[in-house]
Amino acid sequence: MSENTDSAANPAPEAKPEAINASCRLPVLFLFFSAAIWVVQASAVGVLGSLSMHMPGFLPDFPYLTYGRLEANAWVAFLFGFGGNAGLGLTLWMLSRLRGMKLARPGFVVAGAVLWNVGVTAAMVGITMGDQPGVPGYELPAYAGRVLFVGHALIAFSAVLTYFSRRHKQLYPSSWYLIASLVAFPWILGTAHWLLVENPVRGAAQIPAAHWAATSLQQVWLGSMGLAALIYFIPKIIQRELHSRQWAGFGFWMLLILGGWVNLNSGSPIPVWSIKLSQLASMLYIFVLLAVCWNLLQTAKGVPLIGSRDLTLKFMGVSFASWALVAFYTFGNSIVEWNNLLQFTYAATAMRHVFAWGFFAMAMFGAIYYVAPRLFGNEVDWACSGTYKWVFYLTGFGVAVVALAGMGFSYGHGYALQESVGADVLAKKALMPMRIAFLGELAFLAGSLIFLCSIACLLFRNCCGECNPMSLIRQCRTTESEGGAK
Amino acid sequence: MNKSPWIFLGVLFALSLSWWGMVYGPASQANNLSPELGAGDPLRPRVGLAKQGEQVYRENGCYYCHTRAAIGGTFGYEIQITQLGDDRQLNAEAVDRHGKYSEKSVFQKAYSYKAVAKAADALKAEQDKKPEERDEKKIQDANATLISAIGLSNDISRGAEEAVNLKAYGVSGVSFEKDLLAQLGLPAEMNANQARLIKEASFPVTDGSESWKDIEGTIQKLKDKAGAQYKLQPVAKEWPDVQKGAGRQSVSRDFLFDEHVMVGVRRFGPDLSNIGRNILFDKKNGEEVANNPEEQVIEDNNIYKHLYDPQWNGKSSHMPPFRYLFKERKLGENERVQSGEIEVEKEDSYRVAITPTAKAKALLEYMKSLRNDKPLQEAPLVRRKQASAK
Repeated sequence: MSENTDSAANPAPEAKPEAINASCRLPVLFLFFSAAIWVVQASAVGVLGSLSMHMPGFLPDFPYLTYGRLEANAWVAFLFGFGGNAGLGLTLWMLSRLRGMKLARPGFVVAGAVLWNVGVTAAMVGITMGDQPGVPGYELPAYAGRVLFVGHALIAFSAVLTYFSRRHKQLYPSSWYLIASLVAFPWILGTAHWLLVENPVRGAAQIPAAHWAATSLQQVWLGSMGLAALIYFIPKIIQRELHSRQWAGFGFWMLLILGGWVNLNSGSPIPVWSIKLSQLASMLYIFVLLAVCWNLLQTAKGVPLIGSRDLTLKFMGVSFASWALVAFYTFGNSIVEWNNLLQFTYAATAMRHVFAWGFFAMAMFGAIYYVAPRLFGNEVDWACSGTYKWVFYLTGFGVAVVALAGMGFSYGHGYALQESVGADVLAKKALMPMRIAFLGELAFLAGSLIFLCSIACLLFRNCCGECNPMSLIRQCRTTESEGGAK
Repeated sequence: MNKSPWIFLGVLFALSLSWWGMVYGPASQANNLSPELGAGDPLRPRVGLAKQGEQVYRENGCYYCHTRAAIGGTFGYEIQITQLGDDRQLNAEAVDRHGKYSEKSVFQKAYSYKAVAKAADALKAEQDKKPEERDEKKIQDANATLISAIGLSNDISRGAEEAVNLKAYGVSGVSFEKDLLAQLGLPAEMNANQARLIKEASFPVTDGSESWKDIEGTIQKLKDKAGAQYKLQPVAKEWPDVQKGAGRQSVSRDFLFDEHVMVGVRRFGPDLSNIGRNILFDKKNGEEVANNPEEQVIEDNNIYKHLYDPQWNGKSSHMPPFRYLFKERKLGENERVQSGEIEVEKEDSYRVAITPTAKAKALLEYMKSLRNDKPLQEAPLVRRKQASAK
């Protein structure tokens, strides 16, 4: 890994990993713990939303529990709540480690993280009250967007200072992705905020703009942070060098160029040239798939990722496979007939779940499992770390079920939409994949609850030195057993 | 890839490419869209309750289950000749690949006008010569040719409608002096309608059911050899929604005045592109329900009942009920609903009277405003024959 082997031209002295971890402790743990809360929120709201579809009579008198609002809320909680917190936390830690420097200005990060979470909370409340902007995949009310922008700026300020605090001869590919995610987010947020929410562009121009914002947030922003983790942790854990920087570079630039174009529906009411360009981009996306897969597969040649004994590597293995599946689906969207068949079915939603939970969340769960204990130093008391494997099993099960529902059972709905069938048949076909995927959503909820408990356990046992809740309980017990005050 | 500034700049550049293609480009194009439909009936922005209804639709996230866009498919192509080339034989060969178009009166008439114009030009050329070069014989011959051409032109499709004559005049691509116009039976002074007819004159060669393969040869002949001018109009032919009865696909101009464009994510409920027409027009006879206030109330109430209880009347629907959009009260055994109330019979045989709130009324008005039953230049209404042609 470059963090250990690179020599700098005129480098500042490299900080020790323990010192780097110590500098990241408060801000990164704060971000990780926030992420754990949001991921539970996202999965719980998602389950609630699906329930209202499966049981139409479920809580019909509450406007804030209607399917459209819950669906928007679940995605906002995942994307900005979990994705933002976990991704930014990992970005800061990885940048510090890759640059060999302590995290600069951690106070800014804490302030930014607080603002960020205030922004996500405001968005959730806003959507619940009916303030969603009508942009699927973005859904941030104007006020929440502004707060998130400032919060991100504060966190990015610390990240950029850390990044420039020391020069290396060689930048490790994960650094490229992290820089891209830091640069891309304000651009995407700014575009969506100004051109879709604050001063919406004229008429149908909103369609490709909204698609660009939603797709870029997913493919470029989340994608960059997730791929940075894969490229960092897989070689690190198996103790090999990354197979090829050239392949990594090719995949990186192709992802950035194509990420915002792909997956536009062929029947969209916009100029045909936009649709054709999107189809071309989806077709070219095969190069991103090949570059990333070839590079990582060659790096891990002969090492079973999912079958590994190392839990982080297992997480990374599923994450990698999920990313490849979604990338292949993206490529498939360049085939017009396929896109026509599946465009209004559950398939696209299922693939978004696979990307979100299978790729991104798995990468983050795995990374947090690796990073979080190290932030406390060498003596970590994580008694319930064994439960963490259930996060892997449950989330992995959920991803498999959702992928199967999306790619296996959405065809029935797709064919029904193409033919003249009755409303009742159409409704049944439409709901079938959702009903199956509901099992997966329940597994996401269970997995995220265990994740939250596990992180809470780690924090409560190790934070605040001797004043952490677990130490206090232990002290009380000791006192009690020694016949002290009752 | 080791210089940080290059990475920053590269990231910005790479992102700007898709930003240009998906945000800037379409926005520039949308700014040039006009609400004019060409028939003096422009698209109008939503106002009043319908505008408020858009917000109700948005805040409830209706777009997660309903679409306002068609499922894509292949296009058929309609070729409209806007001006015939000079060589009649080549033009006839090109257009006759798709039927006996060269036998149609508009085609023949257009070439007769071209012959008249050619003869008139020849006569004028002779008359304009210097006196010492002028040949009276040639002038007489040219005059005779012109008279013959005029006679021939008048013989072709005698008694045809004025519209056919004017169209033929338009696609012939010639212009005449006023006195010649009168001799040809064309109005000497064109009024606005006649001038528009000539300006927009075209001559259909295909009806929109042909695929690109079918017309490729025709296009090449028309363009490269015959010298004709033509307009190529894609028609949504094999689009599932169109085949199932939608008039046409949704296009950019349908969203021109939408404050927030919500085309939809999934289609768990029906597509709403043309729901307004379904509410406002009788499905059987196609007449506007608004002409019959009682029928309109029944239609409106059916929508309200569906929103209040989608499973009402044993309907198979998975739409969650939107009861909070209504005030409800339970009706006594023999109690009747009051004015403005709608009676809904529940499954367990009790009755409720519901009153739509302002939001429910707004939502209904918004739904009524969702229509794509007007033909647009870029999306003509598809005839059944075109839709079913494979």
